Amino acid sequence: MKIYVSGLYAGGNPQPGVGIVRSLRQGYPNATIVGVEYSNRVSGIHFGKLDELWIQRPWSELDLDAYGEKVREALDAGGLWISGSDLEAMWLASVFPDGHPNLLAPPMSGIKRITKPVVEAASGLPIKIPTYLSTEHSDWDLHAFCREHNWRVWLKGPYYDASRTPTWDTFTAVRNALSKVWSTEKLFLQAHVSGYEESVMLSAFRGELLGAVSMRKRDITTEGKTWAGDVSEVPASFMEPLRQMVRDTNWTGGGELEMVRDASDQLWLIEMNPRFPAWVHGATIAGHNLPALLVQAATRVAAQPVPAVASEFTRIVLEVPVRPDYPLPPLPEPFAGAVGHSMKHPSGLTSLAARLHEIDPHMLDVALAPDAAAPPSGVAELPDTFVADIAAQDFDAMQTPQYIYMDTTATSLFKRAADRAHSLSTNGVEVISGYSIKTNPDKRLIKLALDNGFYAEAISLGEVQSALEVGFRPDQVILNGPGKWWPEGLMPRETMHAVFCDSIADLDRVVAAVAAGDMSAKHIGVRIRTPNITSRFGIPLDSPTTFAKLIAAVKRLPNDSAFGVHFHMASSHVGVAQWWHLFESMLRWCQSIEKLSGRTIEMLDMGGGWYPDDWHEDQISKIARAAERVRTMLLGVRQIASEPGKAMAQPSMALAMRILEIQEHEDDYIEAVVDASIAEIPMHFWQPHRMVRQCAETGELQPIGRGKTHLMGRLCMEHDIIASNVQLPEGTRAGDLLIFCDAGGYDRSMSYVFGRG
Amino acid sequence: MYLAADKTKPEGAQLEDAHCGDDVDLAAPTTAPGGKWQTFPNSHISHHGAACCDIAHQWLIAFDYAQLNGGDVLTGPRWMREQSAWGPTAWPIHWCEAVGAKTVDCGVHAAIAHEAFVARGVRAFRAQFIQRYSADATASWRQNWGKESVSDHWIDGEAIYHEGNAILIGDDEVKLWDGSAGWWINPRGDAGYGSLAAVRIEAPDIDGFADGLLWGERRIMLNQWVAM
Repeated sequence: MKIYVSGLYAGGNPQPGVGIVRSLRQGYPNATIVGVEYSNRVSGIHFGKLDELWIQRPWSELDLDAYGEKVREALDAGGLWISGSDLEAMWLASVFPDGHPNLLAPPMSGIKRITKPVVEAASGLPIKIPTYLSTEHSDWDLHAFCREHNWRVWLKGPYYDASRTPTWDTFTAVRNALSKVWSTEKLFLQAHVSGYEESVMLSAFRGELLGAVSMRKRDITTEGKTWAGDVSEVPASFMEPLRQMVRDTNWTGGGELEMVRDASDQLWLIEMNPRFPAWVHGATIAGHNLPALLVQAATRVAAQPVPAVASEFTRIVLEVPVRPDYPLPPLPEPFAGAVGHSMKHPSGLTSLAARLHEIDPHMLDVALAPDAAAPPSGVAELPDTFVADIAAQDFDAMQTPQYIYMDTTATSLFKRAADRAHSLSTNGVEVISGYSIKTNPDKRLIKLALDNGFYAEAISLGEVQSALEVGFRPDQVILNGPGKWWPEGLMPRETMHAVFCDSIADLDRVVAAVAAGDMSAKHIGVRIRTPNITSRFGIPLDSPTTFAKLIAAVKRLPNDSAFGVHFHMASSHVGVAQWWHLFESMLRWCQSIEKLSGRTIEMLDMGGGWYPDDWHEDQISKIARAAERVRTMLLGVRQIASEPGKAMAQPSMALAMRILEIQEHEDDYIEAVVDASIAEIPMHFWQPHRMVRQCAETGELQPIGRGKTHLMGRLCMEHDIIASNVQLPEGTRAGDLLIFCDAGGYDRSMSYVFGRG
Repeated sequence: MYLAADKTKPEGAQLEDAHCGDDVDLAAPTTAPGGKWQTFPNSHISHHGAACCDIAHQWLIAFDYAQLNGGDVLTGPRWMREQSAWGPTAWPIHWCEAVGAKTVDCGVHAAIAHEAFVARGVRAFRAQFIQRYSADATASWRQNWGKESVSDHWIDGEAIYHEGNAILIGDDEVKLWDGSAGWWINPRGDAGYGSLAAVRIEAPDIDGFADGLLWGERRIMLNQWVAM
C-alpha cells in the first residue's frame, strides 16, 4: 500500500500532512508513505516517519498539465493520495473532474458547495453564518457594514487569509493586498463573533460519513491556530445533518468545520476546509484515527485499531535531523535596507491561486447567498438632492479646488432633524437637537440650525461668538469641552442654556465662576468619560475612587441650576451597536450618580459623531426607543439634547476639483493628479466619499467606481493621495471636473491652507 | 473567604454582617465530599452602612455593564481579574475595600461577580469548589498567605477550597465561572492538577431545580457538596 500525503508545512500555521502521516503510520505500520511537497524549505519533509519523498518544484514553476499526468500515473499505479492543502485539493478536483478511485479528496462539485462565506452545503447543520458583505458592494456600503458591526470585522478571501480591519484605512490597504495575493477582487467582509473556537473533523468516502470528532481549542497560537485541544464525540444533533451533508456533496476525504461557540451556546460557522485539519493526529491520540478510516474504506484493508491515549492533546516543538539528500536551502537575502527575510509561502501557493484563476476565473469566487437582486454595481448612488445641488453650480466660473455648499441637501437634512425632535417630544420631556459648530462653522449651516430650532453646541468661546453673531441667544447655547474658557474675556454674562464640565478641575472653576457671577447657565452638569473605550474627554469613571470624586464634585454644583449629564462618543468610530450599548451603559451610570449624589438629572445631552446614513436612515425608531428608555430610567429628565454632529454637516458640502494630469503606467495602473489635496480632503483616510466626474461634453454626472487609478493631490507630499483604486470613466482627461461629495464635515472644518504660496 | 477564625482585620473595623461563618467547624470529617469545608459558607462582603460602600457597589454594577461592550450578558466578567489579581485577602472585607483592591481572593471575586451577574439580569448562584493541586502548589500558596498574615484555612494537603459562580444558561443548565482565573471551568475535566474534586452550588430558593442543575453531562444537586 502506497499513500501520498501532501501539505507538510510544519511552521506556526501548519498544514495537516505530518499529522496525517503519523495517524496513517499507526493505522498501517507497513504502508509506504510518500511525502509530497513543493519546496525543500518545508520542514515536514524531514519528518522521520516518511518512507519516501516526492518533492516537486514550487507551484509557480510547475507545468500543471505534465504534473497532472504524473499524479494520474501515481494513482493509476495504485497509490492513494490524501491532500493536505485546500488549493491543491481544488487543483486535483479540476484535473480529475470525475474523481479517481484512489484520489481521496472531494469532488469539485462538493468543494464549490463549501465555499465561504455561505458554505451552502452546511445549511442543514445547527449552525449560523456570521453576517457578511461582498466587497463587490460600494465603498459606501462597505463602510456602513463596518460601522454596523462596530469595526469588529474581518476581510477574507475565498479560501485563505483573514485580516481584522478595525479602521477604514486598514480595510482599504488589506483589500488591496489580499486582492493581489489571491488574484481576485471578490473578497468579503464578515462580522466577528466573540466566543470559543471549536471544530468538527470528518472523514468520508463516496458520500458516506466514516467518522467525525469534535475538538475545542484549549490553547492557541498568536495567529489563532490550535496549539492544544480536547476531543470528544460529535453530538447526535450535529452528526445526523453532517451525515446528510456528506451524502449530498458525495464527499470523499477529510474535512473540517471551523466554528465559534458564543456565550449563549450558539455555534457560528467560520469556514469549512476540504481536507483534514492540522490537529488531525490530536484526534488519533484520543482514539479517532480518521485518516486510517479513510484508507480503510478505500482499500478495504483493515486498519490497526488505535487505543485512546488521552482525550486532550497539545503540541511541543521538536528539532529533527535534516535529511542529507535535502539539505536546508540558504535563507533569501533580505531586501536591501529591509528588516527580516521574506519567507512566506515557500511552496508558492499564492502562485497556484493565480494559476487556478487562469484555469477557471470563477474557481476562487466567494459564495454568497442566492439573491434575486442584481449583483452590486460597486458604485454608491447619489441622493437626488446631491444631484440637484451639483447641477445648480456654475463650474465654468469656478476656481478649483472649491467647496460647494449643497443648499437643498442641507436644508432638507436640518428640517428632517427638526421634525424628528419635535415628533419625539412629549409634554414631560422635550427632545432638542444641538448643532456642533466644530463639525463645520460655516455661517450658512449655523443659520440653518438656528432657523430649525437647534441649539448651538460650542466647545470654545470663539464658537459661542460665532453662534451669537448668526443670531443665537445665549440661552440657546450649550458650552462643552475643556476649551470652554478660551479665548479669555468672551464668556457671555447672560444665562446660557447648559454648561457641561469636562473634568473635576473644570467643574470647580465653573462653580467658582458661577459664585462670582462670571458665568450663568440654566443647566450645569458633567460630561462623563466612558470607562471601556479610550477617551480623553469627560470625568473618568474607571475606578471607585474616581467615581467617588465625581459624586463629591456633583454635590458641589450650584443648586439653583438644573443638573445635567453629557456623554459623547463618535458612533462612526466605535460603531453603531457599540454606541447604543454605551448609551445604555450611560443611563446606568446616570442612575448611580442620581442615587449617590442626591441630584436629579434634568438634562441629558448625548452625542455624537453620527455618520449621516446612520442618523438619517433607519434610526428614528432607535432614537424614539432611546427617548423612551431615558423617560423610564431617569424620571427627572425634562430635556434630551441630541447632537447629530457631522450627520448634518458632512453631506452639506462637496469638493470640486479638476484633473491636472493623467499618467499611465504598466498593468493598467494610472495616476491622475488633481488640483485638490489632502489639505482640502483630510478625512479621506477615515471615510469613503461618493465621487463623480462631470462629463465635459454632456455635463452628465458619472459615478466613479473602483479600479486601478490613484488620485494624487497637487502637493509635493508623498502621502498626498486622496483616493486609491478608483476607476475614472472612459474618456476622462486633464481639465475634467471631479466632485467629492460628503466633504462638509471634518473635511471642511479641519482643512488647512497648504502649498498655496 | 470570610472566616470567624480570621483575626487579621484591624481591631475596631465595623461589621454589619458579622455572623457569616461564625459557626464553621473546620474539624468536620474529611471523608465527606466537601472535606473539611463541608459546612463552610460562601464568602460575604460586608457593608459599612455608609456612602463609601454604596459608591463602590454602584460603581461595580455600572462598570460591569460598561465592560460588556455590547456582548452577551452571559459573558464572564473577565475584567475583574484585570482589575484585581488573585491573592490573599484579609477578612472581613467591605465593599469599599473589595471593589478597589489590587489583590483579592476567590471569595471576593466570586461575591463581586455574583453581584454583577444578578445586576445584568442573569440568574446566578454562588458556587464552592474543591480542587486538586500538588504539594508544591499548596506549599507555595501557604507561604504567600502566611507572608500577608492571612489564614490559609482554604488549603488542606493537596486540595484547596475555592469559590466561583454558577449561572443559568438554559432551563436547568449552568456554567461554572472561576472569576479568579477568568475562565469557565471545563465540565469535561476529569482528574489531575487543577481539576475539580467537588462542587457545591448554593441556591436559597430551589424552586424548579429539585433535580439539581445540569453542568456538562453531570447533574448537581443544590446546596450540597457533590463529588466529581
